[in-house]
Amino acid sequence: MPSLRLSHRTRLRQRIGAALGSGLLLAVTSLSMLAVFFIFFFIARDALPFFRLQGMREFFTSTHWYPSAGEAEFGALAMFVGSGLVTMGATLVAVPLGIAAAVCLSDVIPFSLRQFVKPVIEMLAAIPSVAYGFFALVVFAPLLQQQGGHLLAVASWILGLPMAVLGIVVLSDVVTDRFQDRSRTAVRMILMALLGGGTLAGLAWVGHALSALKIASGTNALNVSIILGIMALPTVVSVSEDALQAVGRELREGSYALGATRAEMVVKTVLPAAAGGILAAVILGIMRAIGETMVVWMASGNAARIPIPWYNMLDPVRTLTATIAGDMGEADHVTGSARYHVLFAMALCLLVFSFVCNFISEGIVRRARKKAGG
Amino acid sequence: MRLETRKLLDRSFTGSGILAIALMAAALIVLLAPMFTRGAGAMFFTATIEHRRLMLERFDRGNRPQLEAEIENARKARAPVYRMLADFEKRLEAGDAAERRQYEKPLQDLKKAIRTLLGPIPGAPCPMLMRDQYGQTRWDRAQVKLSHALYREEWDYSDPTRSGIMRLEPRAADFTGTKLDPIFPYLEQNLNRMLLPRRTVYWQFLTDTSFDSHFFGGIWPEILGTFYLTVGAMLFALPLGLIAAIYLTEYARESRFIEILRTCISTLAGVPSIVFGLFGLAFFINTLKVSSSKSVLAGAMTLALMILPTIIRAAEEAIRAVPATYKEAALSLGAGRWHAVWTIILPAALPGILTGTVISMGRAAGETAPIIFTAAVSVGKPLALWQVFTQPTPALSWNIYNLATEHEAVDEIRHVQYGLVLILVSLVLILNLAAIFMRARISKRLRG
Repeated sequence: MPSLRLSHRTRLRQRIGAALGSGLLLAVTSLSMLAVFFIFFFIARDALPFFRLQGMREFFTSTHWYPSAGEAEFGALAMFVGSGLVTMGATLVAVPLGIAAAVCLSDVIPFSLRQFVKPVIEMLAAIPSVAYGFFALVVFAPLLQQQGGHLLAVASWILGLPMAVLGIVVLSDVVTDRFQDRSRTAVRMILMALLGGGTLAGLAWVGHALSALKIASGTNALNVSIILGIMALPTVVSVSEDALQAVGRELREGSYALGATRAEMVVKTVLPAAAGGILAAVILGIMRAIGETMVVWMASGNAARIPIPWYNMLDPVRTLTATIAGDMGEADHVTGSARYHVLFAMALCLLVFSFVCNFISEGIVRRARKKAGG
Repeated sequence: MRLETRKLLDRSFTGSGILAIALMAAALIVLLAPMFTRGAGAMFFTATIEHRRLMLERFDRGNRPQLEAEIENARKARAPVYRMLADFEKRLEAGDAAERRQYEKPLQDLKKAIRTLLGPIPGAPCPMLMRDQYGQTRWDRAQVKLSHALYREEWDYSDPTRSGIMRLEPRAADFTGTKLDPIFPYLEQNLNRMLLPRRTVYWQFLTDTSFDSHFFGGIWPEILGTFYLTVGAMLFALPLGLIAAIYLTEYARESRFIEILRTCISTLAGVPSIVFGLFGLAFFINTLKVSSSKSVLAGAMTLALMILPTIIRAAEEAIRAVPATYKEAALSLGAGRWHAVWTIILPAALPGILTGTVISMGRAAGETAPIIFTAAVSVGKPLALWQVFTQPTPALSWNIYNLATEHEAVDEIRHVQYGLVLILVSLVLILNLAAIFMRARISKRLRG
């Protein structure tokens, strides 16, 4: 009959086994840490020779990108501007839409409906970037090139009209609040007619100007920005929805109890409370947009110059990621040349940027969690 | 502010949220609709006799006697075209030099257009490239080519302030009054009889290898390549990710080190995919030399690194979702920690882990940037299993890029591009839908 007490030896063996096992697990887990260090190390190792060979100044300040010329020039400013421009455009698309959708998911629509919306977001996130790029290049770019002006005009009407109507009604309501009962309606009507007429004229002018617009090439910054914005949407929606959900029920109920409408509750209570998480969502969306390769490579036009003026979304641009992907094929044969190392220098910039962004968003989330916990 | 105004604001607030979600759904539909409708066109289309001839000659598919009879019919319908061409050429040779010079260029162009439409002209030597050995295999392309045969494009640059304007000039005008005059109406009216179009289901698109850089054949090398890369990436990432998740949930105590470790994992998740590609090139190929140049192995390792954080997070979440009572019960029955993890916690967390795994598989299958420098080539034979250690492979994602931008005849093979996109997108979406379905079942079970 085996005794319940283990012998000294067995216990020792068990302990050593457990320690060894947990050490092994730790070692495997640390591999991902090692991977991060290795990524930094190997990218930097191949990037530094470039800075040693060519110096920093040209890389960051010049727009002359002639890597294969006899007197090779490596000015990457245009790529930095290109990356920045499409990322900004994508953010402009993804952030308002994403936050509105997240608020709607967390506070407006009922649970049963949410189960149908969530898969839509997941599918948007799952579609491979190359499929987005293919769509941008084969479907969206010709459409923009042929019908771009009209498309933009219609979009400006669809977005502008409801917002203008709402703004006018609210503004005239607020202004006429002070008036006497009798004159109020009349003043309001006059004000609304005046503002409405002005806005309609403005919208018509904008629409006319836009539809007269000729788009020389459909593969431009606008195209890429819209597609990247759609790609970044799922990230923004799901992370900010998490942040909104984390805001407690008490806050919401307290707000309602004070007589707030749902909009006031969300805007004045929930959004400020979730501001950190939403900021983190925006940062993650930006990271997704700036690190994206295939869409920009296929549909941005790949012209290594700064648009004129710099915010002109209808010009083709070239981004850092697309340059790395596109130029490596030619640089591969001459491993060790400045042409090869300059691509690693770009990768290092991207890496540092995403590291900093990640650090900031981590910090924000951690602080928010601490605040919520304590 | 008045109550009405506040209510109005509230309603429009709700409306804007719903609008955002509707826009998202619309974007999804707009994205997927062309991929699915035109992608299906790679397999379901109206094929000409040239397609059936190709199937017969290359794969020995179809009823040979019947097909040969059909080919004979088509040949008979084409005979007048070739006869008119031959007559005209004979007449030209007998004529004077000025006439010959006048007709030389238009005739060459016309013959080329007819060759692309119907295949090589009888009697001419068999061309080298396979794309020249057959006419148009698809009826939709044949109609485009017919219009090329009937009209030539002229560009008008007379107005220097605008880009050139394209004009279609009938080729018939070049040959008025000659023997070739009737060839144009004949081509136009008898295309049906010359090409014998018929609705076809070419499901072998999925299992055929490609010929002549994707002009003909299917996408089997790409499907197989994507399969190898995805499975390879999972083979590396799944054990590593699972162990890391077990350690982080069951063993690790909160310490400075673990905090740094977690930051590293989220940093890894945020590294741009193209940087992974460069790293794979610099580390796995140039430094570790896992293979002499690009290979499936190097690509799979790079992809594994990319999806590792996703797997760790999903597995961690799944393990945390297992009720603590399971573990406590196991421990109280005298199981060791490892024993409890292995026999109780992991099986309970398995569906959740599987969900995360399936989603990461979709991500690995669709990602392009990491494999550009490490594994992908544009044209290749399907690999045997032992070749994955040394050989690069075509892959669905890379070939979509390659065929849509770098191919020499992008417009000719739109259907192949759409077919690739359809297969890749449906693969990824099926994986994701499976994950969604599994998650729904898990949450139902957890709720009781």
